[in-house]
Amino acid sequence: MKKKVFSLLMAGVMAFSLAACGGSSSTESTDSADSSTTESTESSESSDSGSTASGSVRLLNGKPEIDSQLQELAAKYKEETGGEVTIETIGGDTNASDELKKMYQADNMPDIFVIEANQAATWDGMLADLSGEAWTNDTDYELVDKSMGTIGFPYTVEATALAYNADLLEKAGIDPATLTSPDAWNKACETLDSKKDELGITAVFGWCAEPANLGWSSGTHVFGQYLDAGLKLDDTTYIDMLNDGGKIDEARMKKFAEFIGMMNKYSDPALLVDGTYDNQVAGFASGKYVFVTQGNWINGGVTGASDYSGFKMGFAPYAFDDGFDTIIAGPPSYWTVYSKGNVDGAKTFLQWVSDDSAQDILVNKAGLISPFSDCQYAAADPFYASIKSYMDAGKTSGWHTMLKKDGLQNETCQVFADYAKGTIATADDFVSTIKKVIESYYAN
Amino acid sequence: MEKEYKISNGNKPVSLLCLVAGVVLFVTALVMDFMGTGNTLRGAFLVLGAVGIFFGLFLLPTEKHHRRIINVIFLFPLLFAFAVTVIIPLVLGIGYSFTDWDGIRMTKIVGFENYAKMFTQPSFIWSILITFLFVVFNMILVNLVAFLLALLCTSKIKGLGFFRAAYFLPNLIGGIVLGYIWQFIFSNVVTKWTAALFNSQYSMLSDTPTAFIAIIIVYVWQYAGYIMLIYITGLNTVPGEVLEAAAIDGATPLQTLFNIKIPMIAPTVTICTFLTLTSAFKMFDVNLSLTNGTGSVADFLGSYLTNGTEMLALNIYSTAVVENKYSFGEAKAVLFFIILAIVSIIQVRITSSKEVEL
Repeated sequence: MKKKVFSLLMAGVMAFSLAACGGSSSTESTDSADSSTTESTESSESSDSGSTASGSVRLLNGKPEIDSQLQELAAKYKEETGGEVTIETIGGDTNASDELKKMYQADNMPDIFVIEANQAATWDGMLADLSGEAWTNDTDYELVDKSMGTIGFPYTVEATALAYNADLLEKAGIDPATLTSPDAWNKACETLDSKKDELGITAVFGWCAEPANLGWSSGTHVFGQYLDAGLKLDDTTYIDMLNDGGKIDEARMKKFAEFIGMMNKYSDPALLVDGTYDNQVAGFASGKYVFVTQGNWINGGVTGASDYSGFKMGFAPYAFDDGFDTIIAGPPSYWTVYSKGNVDGAKTFLQWVSDDSAQDILVNKAGLISPFSDCQYAAADPFYASIKSYMDAGKTSGWHTMLKKDGLQNETCQVFADYAKGTIATADDFVSTIKKVIESYYAN
Repeated sequence: MEKEYKISNGNKPVSLLCLVAGVVLFVTALVMDFMGTGNTLRGAFLVLGAVGIFFGLFLLPTEKHHRRIINVIFLFPLLFAFAVTVIIPLVLGIGYSFTDWDGIRMTKIVGFENYAKMFTQPSFIWSILITFLFVVFNMILVNLVAFLLALLCTSKIKGLGFFRAAYFLPNLIGGIVLGYIWQFIFSNVVTKWTAALFNSQYSMLSDTPTAFIAIIIVYVWQYAGYIMLIYITGLNTVPGEVLEAAAIDGATPLQTLFNIKIPMIAPTVTICTFLTLTSAFKMFDVNLSLTNGTGSVADFLGSYLTNGTEMLALNIYSTAVVENKYSFGEAKAVLFFIILAIVSIIQVRITSSKEVEL
């Protein structure tokens, strides 16, 4: 009898624990689904007033470096409006879009999430149209899709071009404003190269084409210069060609290849093929390189380095053809609103983010550059003055490199690496190889 | 026994009540789930329903099926976990491989299109080829190194415990971490040597063939210690009197090794061979963190390949996750599953026939 009771108990416990395991997740999702539905109805009633609680909003952030500032943002939002915002951060090597797919399958979608421009199509029909929101009048950088409307909220502007060390250029007697043609670049490189010892530099360029960990840099950002350098913000000529079955403009690519060839020639061979992001940024910070092929996101790494001398910095264009004088600037990713989530709560929050007190945190604490024209804060970013001058002069090109086919950067970065290593010897070979690689990638 | 059944028999109403209530609660919970109602009691219903069903089944007054019911109840945790983590994903995965699923939704069934497509993709064929090459190299090298280490660790040198632990330790470090550590070693330390020896300016990892060698080195370094332990166990089972008899007959150490030790641990060799075989096929983490599949191949089937060191598992991962083609990745994964299943079946056949001989 005792045995019987015991075994019965055991069976019961086992079944219960299992069922609990199986059930608990569904209970949880029930809870959240439940609360979000009730709260969104609540918020739709109260969204006009704005100041009352508009339901809890979950935001999926893809930038781990600003996680703590976003938490602060959420706290401030709660303090000012009473609204709840939960920040969830995905970062490091985890791909936010991959994580989002898991969340979608688990019916656990955040209300606001981060996407890159070329991922919009995958979420077709699930993103809320944000057109008509007040903040859209204050920025040129929102993500607009022809069929889906205004879907992306720009939370930052990032710029990429050839970052330079202004102090070294001044010492060498080179005005960065003149670097708008291949000839000017070649001359400047020769001058700098001949004054290596005098300036105390290792190489002119800190350009790293290592593919395994820095493929995003060469394959996305540097390649993006082929797509956009010298073009107007909304000029999509070359990205349209690329997305039409992987076509490239060979003449333009050849000039681009010659420019990259010049960079290869004047680069630090220790960094060029085997370097790391850390070495690249550290080398720039310590004045070993005059130019570095990154964007303004390196600011923290540079100014935080122990041997940073306090030099000024700015951006020079990839002028691989005469008269190219633009840098790529814009939001590399956007916040979008999930249409089945708490849309009104999300809209209220985004409107608040575009306003003064939130911009204060994003600009002054997170170090972001505001995409909003009514933002009164000047970013602490050392590149800000340079970026602002390009933005004011209308000399910014788009981040159309984010619209290329997913994963293309992993293919092209290898071509950059081979070119840097010398396996691909000439600019013509570079063009024919990259053409072949891109075409076969688009064909598959 | 008789008494116990009587207890069960006596609970017929309770049993039926539990069963009915359990089923009702369970079904209600599921219906609520599918209807998408936000009722928070849903989870509790599901749990209580499941408990009710089990309880009812347990008390069911049947002498014929009692044992079977008990067996099922006790097996349930394992079966449930196995189904949720293995069977259901496998079936779903095979299903998805015939669609155009992109991780979010699917619009149509494409039949065998994904399967046909993967064999026209030079980069995938290259991945298959180098995976097989990697498996062959690894099977030989890991076993050789592990066996030599095992011989060393069963000899009478000092500090045996230390050596065993030291050789086994790399296996305890996760593959990702290990890959990054070795990446640093290859691109900083080893480059200095290769620069001096071969006058090559760049690291081993920047060239496809040498990067491939680098992966093999790291993998052997990681895995040999584990296989060594199995060989040590095998070598320890060789009876002392046989070795003693051989020594008295004047066998040299080499003769002892080739004529006595190796034949006597033949089953261990088979096991180790298949262990290295399957694990080398599934190699992913070191590949990801050491080279991330980079490396160029100038001309392979008319294509310029950029995934020179990308093995099958990594190819599947990047197809699905990086290139955002989930169904295509699933199709490749199904092929991968078939290859591994064949290898495993052969393994089971061979090892079981060996066991019969013994």
